[in-house]
Amino acid sequence: MAEKKSVGHAYNVDFLNVVFAASSLFLFLSVIWMVWDDFDREWKHTQRRFAALEYQVTQATLAQAGRAVDKNKLGQLTAAEAAARKNVSANQQKVDDLQAKLKDADNALFRATTAFQTMKATYDQDRYDFEASRANGLSSAPRKEEIEKDEAKRLADLDLAREKAEANKADVQKQLGQYTGQVATVQKSIDEITAEQTRLNKRLEVIAPSAVKDYFRNAPLLDFLAPTLKVQQIILPNVVDDVNFIRVPKMDRCQTCHLAIDKKGYEKYPQPFTTHPDLATYLGGSSPHPIDKTGCTVCHEGMGQSVSFRDTAHMPSNEKQKEEWEKKYGWEQPHLWDYPMLPIAMTEASCAKCHKQQVYIPKADKLNMAYATYERAGCFACHKTKGFEDVKKPGPILTKIDSKLSQDWVRNWIRNPKAVKPTTWMPRFFYNSNNSGPDDAPRNETEINAIAAYLFANAEKHTFAVSNPGHGDAKNGEQIVKAIGCQGCHVVGEGSRSEVGPRRTFGQPLENIGNKTTYEWIYNWVRDPKHYSPATYMPNLRLTDAQVADVATYLVTLKGPAGDAAKATPDATVTDAVLLDYLKNVMPFEDAKAQMAKMSPEQRQLDLGQRAISRYGCFSCHDIKGFEKAQSIGTDLSEEGSKLVTRLDFAFITDIPHSSKLGWFDRKLHDPRAFDKGRVLQPLEKLRMPNFDLSNVEVERLLTALMSFQREIQPPAAMPVRSARIDNLGVGRTLVHRRNCVGCHIIEGDGGDFVKLVADPSLGPPMLTPEGARVQPDWLYAFVRGPITIRPWLGVRMPTFGLNDENINHVISYFGSISNTIGPFQTHEIVKTANGDSGKQLFELLKCQQCHVLGAIPKDQPTSNLAPDLRMAPERLQPEWILQWLKKPSDILPGTRMPAFWPDYPKSYYPQLGGDAETQIRAIRDHLLTFKGGPSPKVGAAKSANNN
Amino acid sequence: MGFIKSAINAVADPRLFFMLAVALLAIIVWQREKVASNAVGYGALGLTGLFFAFGTFDVNFRQIVTKPDNVPIVGLIFLLVFFVWYSIKEGVLNDRRIAAGQGPIEKAESDRVWVWPDLVYTELISLILFTVILIVWSIFLKAPLEQPANPANTPNPSKAPWYFLGLQEMLVYFDPWLAGVVLPGLIIVGLIAIPYIDKNPKGNGYFTFSERKAEITIFLFGFVVLWCSLIVLGTFLRGPNWNFFGPFEFWDIHKLAALTNVNLSEYIWVRGLHMGLPTNWFVREIFGILLVLFYVFALPPLLAKMWLKTYYVKMGGPRYYTGVVLFLMMMSLPLKMLARWLFNLKYVVAIPEIFFNI
Repeated sequence: MAEKKSVGHAYNVDFLNVVFAASSLFLFLSVIWMVWDDFDREWKHTQRRFAALEYQVTQATLAQAGRAVDKNKLGQLTAAEAAARKNVSANQQKVDDLQAKLKDADNALFRATTAFQTMKATYDQDRYDFEASRANGLSSAPRKEEIEKDEAKRLADLDLAREKAEANKADVQKQLGQYTGQVATVQKSIDEITAEQTRLNKRLEVIAPSAVKDYFRNAPLLDFLAPTLKVQQIILPNVVDDVNFIRVPKMDRCQTCHLAIDKKGYEKYPQPFTTHPDLATYLGGSSPHPIDKTGCTVCHEGMGQSVSFRDTAHMPSNEKQKEEWEKKYGWEQPHLWDYPMLPIAMTEASCAKCHKQQVYIPKADKLNMAYATYERAGCFACHKTKGFEDVKKPGPILTKIDSKLSQDWVRNWIRNPKAVKPTTWMPRFFYNSNNSGPDDAPRNETEINAIAAYLFANAEKHTFAVSNPGHGDAKNGEQIVKAIGCQGCHVVGEGSRSEVGPRRTFGQPLENIGNKTTYEWIYNWVRDPKHYSPATYMPNLRLTDAQVADVATYLVTLKGPAGDAAKATPDATVTDAVLLDYLKNVMPFEDAKAQMAKMSPEQRQLDLGQRAISRYGCFSCHDIKGFEKAQSIGTDLSEEGSKLVTRLDFAFITDIPHSSKLGWFDRKLHDPRAFDKGRVLQPLEKLRMPNFDLSNVEVERLLTALMSFQREIQPPAAMPVRSARIDNLGVGRTLVHRRNCVGCHIIEGDGGDFVKLVADPSLGPPMLTPEGARVQPDWLYAFVRGPITIRPWLGVRMPTFGLNDENINHVISYFGSISNTIGPFQTHEIVKTANGDSGKQLFELLKCQQCHVLGAIPKDQPTSNLAPDLRMAPERLQPEWILQWLKKPSDILPGTRMPAFWPDYPKSYYPQLGGDAETQIRAIRDHLLTFKGGPSPKVGAAKSANNN
Repeated sequence: MGFIKSAINAVADPRLFFMLAVALLAIIVWQREKVASNAVGYGALGLTGLFFAFGTFDVNFRQIVTKPDNVPIVGLIFLLVFFVWYSIKEGVLNDRRIAAGQGPIEKAESDRVWVWPDLVYTELISLILFTVILIVWSIFLKAPLEQPANPANTPNPSKAPWYFLGLQEMLVYFDPWLAGVVLPGLIIVGLIAIPYIDKNPKGNGYFTFSERKAEITIFLFGFVVLWCSLIVLGTFLRGPNWNFFGPFEFWDIHKLAALTNVNLSEYIWVRGLHMGLPTNWFVREIFGILLVLFYVFALPPLLAKMWLKTYYVKMGGPRYYTGVVLFLMMMSLPLKMLARWLFNLKYVVAIPEIFFNI
């Protein structure tokens, strides 16, 4: 460059000209490129495609609307219109005259109105002027007052003139209406019929493709004026984003691409143009979560402000979708946003953000299943979790273990529970990915032995209520187990744990129970579970002693594999070494040795057992003597869903992206010790979370539960309004889920697993959603307290749960709140038979007794047709409900066998009482309420109340 | 391949990296006659390019180098190599002319100033070309919208803007008040003071080396080694937890570096004198305090009497003392680095009681 010429210029100017020209050209091109780069956005392409789709869909809708119009009516109206027009043309001369007059009147009115308005403005100004002058005591005030008065008069005159002009116009219009009124009326009817078409036509005009739109309004650099392609955003003042320093109203731009998400009619089109799958619950204007109040990202997560596929942090549901997105959108694992979108199957996790006052949420089936799994697996026992503080320990008590199990069985069980019972929730602590090495076996066996030794050494003596009971008939027992409802909570080897689900694994699986314990124990347990474990949720089935013997005899025949054998036979030296390891962790080495020297070999083993139980947290799930006050050992998970991925330690696991929180949790749940891989650790430094051998489905459920444990960010305005009813619902739902009522009954659309096992649903446990409207609270109280047989032909029966008064009242308030018939105290007017015998007549006419019991069970009916004893009605049923029920039973219980006797309500087929359905129904109801002497739970309730 | 990469990783260790940078500077100054050849200049550029080309095949290297924040530093490396070589070359060429009695080439046509169109036109072209570069750059290296800043979740490593990475590197060796306040302050004061200290009129308006040996060497050491190479080191070689990572190394957040640094007082009282640390902090730190006082106040007059006698005579008292104190302050960084690397020295003076550490 520094080639210098001796004279003239330092550089060759001709060459510089060329360089200048070239660089200017580059600048020009790069500016064009820059403008194009800024203009050419992903979302604009999407909107263009949607514009075409919308045009097409609207055209189709228009065609459909055209077909839907009543052709006959339209034809008639058109004919009427033609006739009316004919009438007008017959008087054309007069009509023309009047129209000319109307025009004149119109002009006159316009002039009068303008003059009035001008005067009014002047008057207002001068009036203020006068008012201000007078208030300020100016000398000009009197003069201004005169002006004001003068103008007020002129204004009144002008107003009069205007009114006159108006009246004149109305008069002319009226005259004209004599001739043209008919046409206008018919025209209006036609417009009404074709209103939808007119609307769609207008819409089509707006969205029709046009060159102006493509090349002018949406052109680069001009598109700031009035583009048709633009970012669509909603700002939500009641839903906030936490930007760490402040909470700001959420701003969601998702609709920039998801243009039809809140519009009906796009259900069959693929994303991003599809309609939301549940507009009745979400986004719809009349839904509880309208789009302009709820937005998108509060549920789905992701970066609402972004309008590119990648930056919004979309999350694929599976591998296949992931690969597809990578190809199509250049998707990558989100790492620029702390809370990427939830995979679609886990979206319900977000319900918990606002629905905070309850654990279980209706319609959030996936979330409820997730929480049920979370409870069943006992996650909350080691990991403190908000909302799960008061849940009972998930495992059985071990304080009386001596009378139930043998040490050998316990060792095999701890070693690998699934080898004994494949469907158990008891996890595996030993022989996991971080303690399966060849050197680990002696240590594992030592700890297992020590734990078992500690448990048995600390078991209290238990005396059976019935010792050495006699045996029964196993076949009979099997029938009872299958029929009476045990399977609502227990499985007997019916497929994998994730297939049968968390509700049916509420109780211990019964498989292999014959190997586990003795006949005597099973007999006593079935007979009265609370005798062995006072706090157990296992209810009393009210079996006779003979039936108990049958059941126990059957159960004891259920035998399976003994489990994994010990992989090493450690001696006392290993015990000593392991104990020393534990001790020197908490005290200086010399002290540990001294303490060991003081102990006998048995004491050492027991001490080791205690320390191992403490380390693995067995006491979190089981009652164990000596651990009554021990604290839970796991991380608090109450806000785990909000945890930032940087807080998770991926250690040497490199095959999952380190920006994926879900990836970490997924690995952790599949293999809780995975993150020890490749690390050099002392035995006591190793991870200790046990392995639950979770299936993919179960992991997904638990991930949903984890992601639902969020920080509290949303303001109260975003949450459902609190009321006694909402609170009752929350408490009640939690109760019926935690007691597994939903194992047998369908309540608010959830549960009813046992019903699915019964061949005919009408022979299964009843659906309880309308229970609050159906039965009287005091009857319900007595029934839950001491159930009676309502349908003797059923195999399944309502057990005695032994709920305390508080819980029974929760149940009553809960059902009352579902049907909005709150409160246990209700007056039921005693209805008299005011209608004479009509009620009885109808009762006989409709053959109610053909299916309903009235003292005796009707013969010649298949059991599925049988219905409860009507003599219970006055005490049991709510009078108001009987009316609703008779009117249309299937509205209350879809699929019920109860016929609808008034399908054309309020018309009636029956002549009684003037053929009025409502009166007839009332008459039957009143007749029912005269019955007496049915079975009643109240007697038993009084008794059991006295016993307490 | 693996061997070359681990060799480069080893060389990139801050200790070796710094020593090599110093050694390279010494060689450039010493062998400037040879460095001035085009072969060396373009060869060095080519080698640098080759290194980056080789590196981009490695996923870790690629990730660090192509990070939008770091791309300018890649450019900085090439520009640094080129301009250091170019100035040395031009200086050497002029030195030869001066030795031959011809005077520097820039003086040959000193009666002429080419403004129009030469200067203005080339400036305009440069303006246009830089605009083009910036536009294209902004199209290719987009700035994404990220999650809201979270004071509880700072990025690891948290890095200063690239032009402050040299200062951030000093934080490894000095207390924040020194590395962040005193030394940067002195840098600015020193830069302002240069025209008053350096009265040498030679080299004004033309390239030369031999007429300004000390000045240029000190400048190259301060700017290229202490400033730019520390920026490069901070950009590419400092990873999570401010740990050192070779250019081909995975930035593993779990990497640990043994840091058992010892204060001077502990060296003397505990290791040397086999006593406990005195409870009075002044007594405890007396040796460090004396050393610092010696470095700042006694060393300049000593040097004036001994090795730098000629400078003292040439520059006169005030200029000499200002210059030497500034120079000593600059040298405190490499000295402290050396002391850290050789003796694990943490602080010369450590008085946590009054939050004062040197």
